[in-house]
Amino acid sequence: MSGKIDKFEKFVNSLSNWLNWVAGTALVAMLALIVADIIGAKLFKWPIPGGIEVVGFLCVVVIAFAIAQTQTIHGHIEVEFLVTRLPQTARKVIAAIIYCLGMALFALLAWRSYDFGRVLQVSGEVSMTQRIPFYSFVYSIAFCCIVVFLVLLVQCLREVTKGKK
Amino acid sequence: MSPVVIGIIGIVALVVVFLLRMPVGFAMAFVGLVGFSLLVSPEAGLNILARDVFQTFSSYSLTVIPMFVFMGCIASASGISRRLYEASYSLLGRLRGGLAIATVAACAGFAAICGSTNATAAAMGKVSLPEMKRYHYDDSLAAGSVAAAGTLGILIPPSTIFIVYGIMTEQSIGKLFIAGVFPGLILAGLFIITVSLVCWRNPSLAPAGTPTGWKEKIEGLAGVIETLVLFALVIIGLFLGWFSPTQAGGAGTAGALLIGLVRGQLSWQGFLSAVKDSLRITCMVMVIVAGAIVFGHFMAVAKIPLILADWVVSLPLPSMAIMGVIIIIYIIGGCFMDSLAMITLTVPIFYPVVVALGFDPIWFGVIIVLVTEMGVITPPVGVNVYVIKGIAEDVPLETIFKGIFPFLAALIVMVAILMLFPQIATFLPSLTTY
Repeated sequence: MSGKIDKFEKFVNSLSNWLNWVAGTALVAMLALIVADIIGAKLFKWPIPGGIEVVGFLCVVVIAFAIAQTQTIHGHIEVEFLVTRLPQTARKVIAAIIYCLGMALFALLAWRSYDFGRVLQVSGEVSMTQRIPFYSFVYSIAFCCIVVFLVLLVQCLREVTKGKK
Repeated sequence: MSPVVIGIIGIVALVVVFLLRMPVGFAMAFVGLVGFSLLVSPEAGLNILARDVFQTFSSYSLTVIPMFVFMGCIASASGISRRLYEASYSLLGRLRGGLAIATVAACAGFAAICGSTNATAAAMGKVSLPEMKRYHYDDSLAAGSVAAAGTLGILIPPSTIFIVYGIMTEQSIGKLFIAGVFPGLILAGLFIITVSLVCWRNPSLAPAGTPTGWKEKIEGLAGVIETLVLFALVIIGLFLGWFSPTQAGGAGTAGALLIGLVRGQLSWQGFLSAVKDSLRITCMVMVIVAGAIVFGHFMAVAKIPLILADWVVSLPLPSMAIMGVIIIIYIIGGCFMDSLAMITLTVPIFYPVVVALGFDPIWFGVIIVLVTEMGVITPPVGVNVYVIKGIAEDVPLETIFKGIFPFLAALIVMVAILMLFPQIATFLPSLTTY
């Protein structure tokens, strides 16, 4: 059992790490685009067409693709002071419940983001200037939510099996 | 059950899941989803969840957050924090408690290019704590001064908290930024007075450092120029209308990057680590903002903010007394909740009250930042203290919290000053049109 969890954890961690690199690339691209837009607008009176909407889309990638890795390193703010004072068994039960609630949230978000993306795809909604389809970014949120779900599942399994051989 | 009762149950449920260690952003989204589903319909709740998340993540006005976070991380990786500390040390190091005073001054300087408390505390802590250890400073004074002075990061512009507050209340981020300048400088002064008083009462806590000559002082000051240039680029650019807030953050990041490259201090590894830190901080903040927006929709359909505002306004109390109660709620809440969560949860509730009572929204923004600063250093949930603990692993948490208390008193004095003289915060914004 432990060996299977190890393998699964390795796979999920490398997936979230890979997504984090995509987020990092998007962050640097966002910076480059903003700087190019400033230079274009101020020096050459030619701002990048649709620069604002592309920055917004890149921001989706920056955040959505970084959620899984942030959860992997427990980077999301948690209030620890009460739970750490409880006995280990109670801590395990609470952690399992909280992980399950988190998984439910991200499963629902993945499902509904996919549905929302479908609606946008069918209706053909695109951004105003560059005519970039919205749905691809909504689908990317759905995909990232699945990875967050997997990260939470691994962490839940680790918590429940902690101390067992 | 009436919507108000469901709303109140929702708030209690949120506090419970916070305390059970559900990540703050997840908890707000989850409770918001369940509450909205109960009050409207599950279909509407699920729809609003997906839409809110996409709209928050893709909102151009929120792209200012990753840019200012990135600027702070790059500035730290480029060695700007170290040079600021060296400059402050060359000027102030020979005084009793001089290293702690230099830390406060350097934090105030770094706050001018970094918008986060924990990034400021981490950047300056890495530089100043080893120095203070070397000079046999008392652990509680050393750690307490960095943790407290790190909070200047959100008062002196740029500031992530001002950005989030500005977006939630539709106030000008530029005006909020400039409103933080005078209170930030006064608070830095109060922190310096606090260090001096603590050292005057107990000189053994902080031995005097080695005096520095004029040559070293002038050389040290050269290290401050780059920070001044960056600050001027960002803040003046914002006020002269050259940049939008996001562009100001982008220009500042590019400037910090350029300084690091020109000085040859920004390695590839340093850059990658700055990117990773920025992603972690940005993601953490934005997930909380998205969760708060979902939760805010639940609160809106439960009509809690409206009813609370009506009730508070009808109380037979002077408006300053009501404001005092609101501030006390924030201080107590900040002890147990993450500050950003506290703001995103309570601003939609209290803001209508504050406006109905006739207070200036910009002034209230500064008050909110001050109480947030208390929240990040008060036990048991003081994020800055944990950041410092991560750097000074051998110092017990209790020792750091002990060192915090004198600075907490300075923060309370600052809130009182601002309540008596609101012009300190409102004067500069009244001169600007942005």
